[in-house]
Amino acid sequence: MSWAITGTGAVASIGQDADEVFDALCAGVSGRAPLRGFDRRAFRTAHAYEIDDRPADGTDVPSRATAWLLRAVAEALRDAGLDEDLSSTPVIVGTGLRELRSVELRWCEDAEFDLGGLHFGTALRERFGATWTYTISNACSASLHALAMGSDLLTAGTAEAVVVAGVDSITASMFGLLDRVQLDPPDRVRPFDQNRRGTLMGDGAAAVVLTREDHPAARRARGRLRAASMNCDAAHPTAPDPAGIAQAIRLAHEQAGIKADDIDLILLHGTGTSLNDEAEATALGDVFGGGIGRPLMTAVKSMTGHTSGGSGLLGLIVAARALAERRVPPTIALDTPAGVAGQFRFATGPTPPEETERLRIAQVDAFGFGGVNAVAIVEGVAA
Amino acid sequence: MTSASDTVVTGVGLALPGARDAADLLRTTREPAEPVDPGTLLGRRGLRYKDRATQLALCAARDVLRSSGLLPADGEGGLTVPGDTVGVAVSSNLGNLDTVCEVASAIGTETTSHISPMALPNASSNVIASSVAMQHGLRGPNLMFCNGPTSGLDAVYWAATLVAAGRCDRAVVIGVETANPVVEGLLGEAAERLLDGAVALVIEGEAAARARGVRPLAALGAYTRRESVRAAVERVLPEGRPAPGIWLTSQEKPPAPGTPGFPDAPRHDPTGAFGRADGALGVLQCAAAVARFGSHPTGTALITTGEDTDDAVAGLLLHPAREEHP
Repeated sequence: MSWAITGTGAVASIGQDADEVFDALCAGVSGRAPLRGFDRRAFRTAHAYEIDDRPADGTDVPSRATAWLLRAVAEALRDAGLDEDLSSTPVIVGTGLRELRSVELRWCEDAEFDLGGLHFGTALRERFGATWTYTISNACSASLHALAMGSDLLTAGTAEAVVVAGVDSITASMFGLLDRVQLDPPDRVRPFDQNRRGTLMGDGAAAVVLTREDHPAARRARGRLRAASMNCDAAHPTAPDPAGIAQAIRLAHEQAGIKADDIDLILLHGTGTSLNDEAEATALGDVFGGGIGRPLMTAVKSMTGHTSGGSGLLGLIVAARALAERRVPPTIALDTPAGVAGQFRFATGPTPPEETERLRIAQVDAFGFGGVNAVAIVEGVAA
Repeated sequence: MTSASDTVVTGVGLALPGARDAADLLRTTREPAEPVDPGTLLGRRGLRYKDRATQLALCAARDVLRSSGLLPADGEGGLTVPGDTVGVAVSSNLGNLDTVCEVASAIGTETTSHISPMALPNASSNVIASSVAMQHGLRGPNLMFCNGPTSGLDAVYWAATLVAAGRCDRAVVIGVETANPVVEGLLGEAAERLLDGAVALVIEGEAAARARGVRPLAALGAYTRRESVRAAVERVLPEGRPAPGIWLTSQEKPPAPGTPGFPDAPRHDPTGAFGRADGALGVLQCAAAVARFGSHPTGTALITTGEDTDDAVAGLLLHPAREEHP
């Protein structure tokens, strides 16, 4: 398959739109900051990668995730040269935590929040007139699951264009539970580093417009989606299974009609937890075998934090930009890769031109709680 | 590539208070019944840290896997098909709100040292769908729909879409909601007016069902998600045809019989017997439609979920399996 990625939009701790986010990533800028959203005295964890757009210090308001989502979708439509009328266009939103932060605010602080806003269809209808909308809650790989679903609608001929998005804002319950289970809470996300201590959450949203190749907007494609796989480990509630991950990667390669050797760049899931990084590294080692040192790899959560449900699609946007602009964001805070990752070729600084010249096909990984895996394959377009 | 309309229903599973078999879904009034007890049904092992929505879903999942022949009916042995040919699509809007609110509230008054780390999986809304997969080794696509009032019907449609796209041969669909103090407080509804149960279907490719010698119970027809009940009905039943044998709708004020633009068919609302069903509604309605086909083997079932005041209304046609359908 081959669908045109005709427009992109993003917002994260490090930037207000896709250009800003990509430039910040390439410059190695981190969104890490002291925790601002919650009362610090309740947590051992002292840092997060937040979008701190709350009205004032110590106050929080409902529906911030919804606002980021709408902004990312509007940007993607503008970028694709399309108007904001989505009355006949499917919109699929992948999220780990929906508007659960707003539910917490209502439950704990009596904030005004109608449960109709817990899923994103209500806001998408108000802003874009969209009624063909889906909110799926698929943990940290939600937005790549949404991408796979969107591609199925194009394949079936049900739609000519789809909007796919991902969003998450940090909830107190998830931030608190991670704080509780991580022995020595980390002060930064250090994917694949020997001294990594765990993950820290980040806020963010991402959106893309995906169209058939014969759609007028496809002329300005930023890249092409060649595959989006999904499967489930069916093994453990929170620990990922290397066999399930390897299978998801193989499914994606098969769907794209490529071999592991054809992959030039990998946007790693890389959350900075021992279990996650090890499982991903083992799975990649299994699929790529002796060729594991060939593709360039990077883990942008080292700069955005773990943006949960939105992270996979952000990775897709970064991959398409990297291939088109021939710039690859580095993995920061990585001193000594651990275990199998010692054989990986990480982007750690500016990528030399002779290296970026040959980048054509990228793989984007996303894995989530419950063993839900999704992997996308992106083909670049010449800038 | 098959189309979503080449998919059929090959099983119905229930974990509802006072419902022994699918025919009970045609009741219209609430009868006194004990809450479903997952510990008795499944055994207590492994249920301890699972939230009630997950426990109820596991009950309905086992029931539907047995009724569809994907698990041996006598309970001996595992799946009768490879695990990677089975997907999962669960719908629940309120399932883990108790965990989220209780943990947030505990952190607000104490520190994180006072919360149980065992709540971590339940803080992720997809815990229900992944737990079902884990219990039975279902390694196909695993989707958790939290899509508001239409969510259950949307999950049924997407199960069919996954099959049509060739991502799996069949998918277990589950709609589940629970009644607990958090849900009661947030909805402002008393527990006795809320569904506390789960309903499951198996949606399967017609050819795959035939290949394993299973008789379909119903066939999926047109689906849509539109701005109003009228628009949804118009889309799945152009010019009112084929005239449905039954219309499942749970609108608070459905249009009077004979109102132009709406089918003049008998109506059925299973929430009268089982309570406000939220994300489980669409699955409950489909199961009730299948039950009706058991006693009325001709005539389609029109299903709509959602009100004109909601973000959208979903519509789906189900055909009795033996009837020729376009």
